[in-house]
Amino acid sequence: MTTTMILLSLFASVLELDVTYAFQTLISRPIIAGPLFGLCIGDVMAGVQIGIFVELLFIDISPLGGIIPPSGVVATALPIILYSLGIDLYFGFFLGVLAGIVYSLFDTLLRKTRFKWIVFLEAKIGKKPTDLWRIIGLSLLLSFLMTFIFLSAASWLGAQTVFLLLPYLKPKVHFAFQLAYMAVPWIGLATLIPTFRLKTR
Amino acid sequence: MSFWLRFNMFFRSFFLQAGWNFVKYQNLGFAFVMVPFLRKLYQYDPEMLPTVLVRYLETFNTHPVMASFCFGAMAKKEETVAKAHSITEYKEQVAEWNGARRGLSITAASIGDRLFWGTIKPLTLLLALFIWMLLGVNFFETSSLQSISYFTAFSAAIMAFLLYNAIALFVRWEGIKIGYDSDESSCFGLTRFDWNRTIYKAKRLGIFFSVGLILFGVYHYFGRIHVGLDFLARALLVLFFIIISFVTRRLRIPNIYLYLSAVVIFTAVCLF
Repeated sequence: MTTTMILLSLFASVLELDVTYAFQTLISRPIIAGPLFGLCIGDVMAGVQIGIFVELLFIDISPLGGIIPPSGVVATALPIILYSLGIDLYFGFFLGVLAGIVYSLFDTLLRKTRFKWIVFLEAKIGKKPTDLWRIIGLSLLLSFLMTFIFLSAASWLGAQTVFLLLPYLKPKVHFAFQLAYMAVPWIGLATLIPTFRLKTR
Repeated sequence: MSFWLRFNMFFRSFFLQAGWNFVKYQNLGFAFVMVPFLRKLYQYDPEMLPTVLVRYLETFNTHPVMASFCFGAMAKKEETVAKAHSITEYKEQVAEWNGARRGLSITAASIGDRLFWGTIKPLTLLLALFIWMLLGVNFFETSSLQSISYFTAFSAAIMAFLLYNAIALFVRWEGIKIGYDSDESSCFGLTRFDWNRTIYKAKRLGIFFSVGLILFGVYHYFGRIHVGLDFLARALLVLFFIIISFVTRRLRIPNIYLYLSAVVIFTAVCLF
């Protein structure tokens, strides 16, 4: 594991908290997080492109009700980490999208588990309301740790897999991934523009 | 409500979803936000606090920004609960408090989802894309990455961040006061704003940026391109994906699955 991998995973884990658990200032949205990650590895354009592509691809999934969308932060951070290791953006992006989906499953599991210990702690809150600070802090810490472990493991696993497969991949496979990557902004824009249809009146 | 109490609730509102869970949703965060107000209200009767907090730990789920209206309104309703003179009156007030909490949280969530997730977030994305295009960033080019300055990279992102937060912070801050100062007749201040008109206007602005983005993109990128076989092949592929994404949108299939399918299909076609 490289220092960049660990530092970027730490930074992404802090940003991931902004998605749901704390602040929701949207500093974690891919178009903002992407350039920030890019700045960390010294290539802002890679960050800008990945940020735009992830945001456009995920634009049609909103966190309504109990829906937990794939993580935009994980999907943005992973390709940038892999890119810093010399892996092409089109491979990294594919793994990033997959990781974003898998992460949402882990997040769902965490939220289901959280309820069990919250019920146990609710009795304590009634007696001592100051415990709320501790529970909120613990909840944030758990989410942070889960993102950090997940992202570090996913980056390491992703990098090892790509490096292992790369010598066996034919140029045609590169071309296929490039074509699909090229289509991403068009898929996103075709979804984004119709969202402004004037049907609210 | 004093400035510092309002500020305390405002600050704590950023952690509304910290304890999000699948059974009672934002209940922990809701109690966390309301604790400073409850402490002040029941300062001469601290034994009441645990009983009162139990009510705040019941199911609560709304939009995190629009929740500020609920905080103000629930604080106001709690004052009437605290002033109850008899057990019967207390039970009546608690029932009213519960009804208001449920109704208001649903209404606020509906407005918040349409306004923030459905309009402002896509609008700020479009604004950022528009600014990046004006600054000459060609994000469509995937074969080689362009070299850009830090100003170019961050200006659009910062604009999107500031615009979203200017609106969100205003609603968070004012919502507490408006919710507290209003009553049921104005749906606890929610009817003070014409949300439909705001969404309508924001969407009109979105159409303006969309048209601008398309025209500028066509002029900027296609004006200098020589129409050859490569260009036609790319244009056809783009058109194919645009049509397919319209179809998948109708079928409610998320974009990510369209992209993942494209990777699998292209790889299969290229290999065999």
